Amino acid sequence: MGGHTFGIGLDIGSTTAKGVLIDETRKILAQHIQSMGASAAAAGREVLGVLTEVSGVQASDHKIVGTGYGRAMIEKSSENVTEITCHSIGVNSLNPDIRMLVDVGGQDSKVIRISSGGRPTDFEINDKCSAGTGRFLEVMAHVLEVSINELGPLALQSESPSKISSTCTVFAESEVVGRIGSGDSPADIAAGVHMAMASKIGTLAKRVGIIKPVGLTGGVALNPAFRHYLSENLEAEIWIPELPQLTGALGAAILALQ
Amino acid sequence: MIAVTEQKKEKAYRLLKSSALLQQIMFRYMMEGQIASEEGNLAWVTSGFPVEIPVAMNIGISYPEQYGAVVGSQRMGPELCGFAEGLGYSQELCSYARSSIGSVKHPDQSPLGGLPTPQALLACNNICGTVLRWYDTVSELTGAPVFLLDTPPLEGEQPEHHRDYVRKGLDKLVDFLEQVFGKPLADERMQEVALYSTEAVGLWTQCLEACKAKPSPLNCADRFLTMAPIVSLRGTDYVKDFYVSLLAEVKERISNGVGAIKEEKIRLLWDNIPPWFTIFRFFNGLAKRGVVFPADTYTHAWTGSIEGDNLFDSVVSIYSNVYLNKGLDAKIDKMCQLIQNYDLDGFIMFSVRSCKRYSLGQLVSKELVTERTGVPGVVIEGDMVDSRLFNEAQIQMRVDALLEMFA
Repeated sequence: MGGHTFGIGLDIGSTTAKGVLIDETRKILAQHIQSMGASAAAAGREVLGVLTEVSGVQASDHKIVGTGYGRAMIEKSSENVTEITCHSIGVNSLNPDIRMLVDVGGQDSKVIRISSGGRPTDFEINDKCSAGTGRFLEVMAHVLEVSINELGPLALQSESPSKISSTCTVFAESEVVGRIGSGDSPADIAAGVHMAMASKIGTLAKRVGIIKPVGLTGGVALNPAFRHYLSENLEAEIWIPELPQLTGALGAAILALQ
Repeated sequence: MIAVTEQKKEKAYRLLKSSALLQQIMFRYMMEGQIASEEGNLAWVTSGFPVEIPVAMNIGISYPEQYGAVVGSQRMGPELCGFAEGLGYSQELCSYARSSIGSVKHPDQSPLGGLPTPQALLACNNICGTVLRWYDTVSELTGAPVFLLDTPPLEGEQPEHHRDYVRKGLDKLVDFLEQVFGKPLADERMQEVALYSTEAVGLWTQCLEACKAKPSPLNCADRFLTMAPIVSLRGTDYVKDFYVSLLAEVKERISNGVGAIKEEKIRLLWDNIPPWFTIFRFFNGLAKRGVVFPADTYTHAWTGSIEGDNLFDSVVSIYSNVYLNKGLDAKIDKMCQLIQNYDLDGFIMFSVRSCKRYSLGQLVSKELVTERTGVPGVVIEGDMVDSRLFNEAQIQMRVDALLEMFA
């Protein structure tokens, strides 16, 4: 077999499972995001089912490249590639000018330097501590009694962000409770939470070396307050793809075509 | 039998024939330690201690750090470290120290029944400052006195006053040992021991340098295992035999074009102590993917020869200038040299959670080494003995991403 007619990328992450099916021109015929659930294998099967249904192409008959923490559990993948490489390739296909990518997922955050060919040349990951991940925002949203989707817009209402420690989700949670007790407004606390997270990821990014414009992907890219504070912290314009959660799966699908 | 063996599928990595001799020599080391302890003649020493001096005074030697590697390899780390944590020691403390303290408290639940009881504890802080407090604790538990050979960290060349200071420490060491063990140090015996040590170190250095060959005759796990005698038995008359055998095997591999792994595709540098509890799984797993480690910063630490007219001056120079006692620049220089001299494609730095001295500055080093050599590297996090601090999925992703950069 030479080049493939269709390519499928499955990104089985810690919080969500994502899938993309493309044709040989890299046109997206189907895409899907769903919650992970307890089984990576089951999530992979479900995503494949949706891709098949939407595109009319029997996904399991074509080459599948798996990525994400659950990549080894994908039953029908022909190859497993890390999300570092897949995000680089996916982002490069959407915006070839991006040389530095920040990807913030549910379980970790990554900063990747991308070559002109779309391959990663250096990266840093924060995965021992949840203070720079989507999980951090989820915990804080819970404490502030708002949904995760409401947290960002709430933070943008702030004029005087609270100071929140950027070191640890557990301690930051107690700190937020303390701020509530001190009478800080939910908007100010929410803004402080985003600033703390942007500072944490900013440190990671500065280690790799900032090259503007900076790309941002992962579920947290959907949060407008995080985008704002990251841009402020890095002093850089932030570029975000239309579907920032799908770039890993897109990169995997492009690799499947090759 | 031979035919059957040949029909078997060839493994991705090759076992050393010298392993059998290694087992014998390390068994002898353990037995001699046991006998010395029973005779009231055993000292525990740190890995960077000038052991040639107590050996020349015919004092038996045991190495708690080497024992830590045994604890790790037998996957007893969490249990033994847990004993020390039960006494109130932090999980941030060196896992060699924790497992050692745990094994002294509970020898019946420790591999090999724990290390034999010492009559003296000889610490040199050229590898870290923790060793002194660790040995203080063992002293409290066993009653053995502690001697500290203080070798302040060095940045650049060793100044004369630094040499004088360490030299005075050696004189005090001799006094201390004479007092504790009631034995004098004879010049002739010191010369003999220095010669044995230098011969063994010379052979070991040749084994290491032979890994410049392609394919590399030794992989990381091979060196980490075969370094045991150079760490534990420097200065003995029989340590040389093992390295003669190892070097012959290494040379044979090179002349036959046989590598440590079946198919060498990527050559990497390893930095730091290995995760002992998964050493084979980790390095052999990478061997299956064509990754070999012809050099590392750790096993290259025992390559100093005690020579010249004044042996004590030579001892001062070697033991003050060990890798971990020097500044970050020296470490970065060493990594760059190894990458260039061994023609390596990249590097993996193992950030050992409980070994702060080795792991400090790795993130900066990584950037500078890449800048100077042009090869990529990755930092992975874990521990040498405490497997609770090792997240395989996270490490796998980092290593995979590094390997994908070579695609």
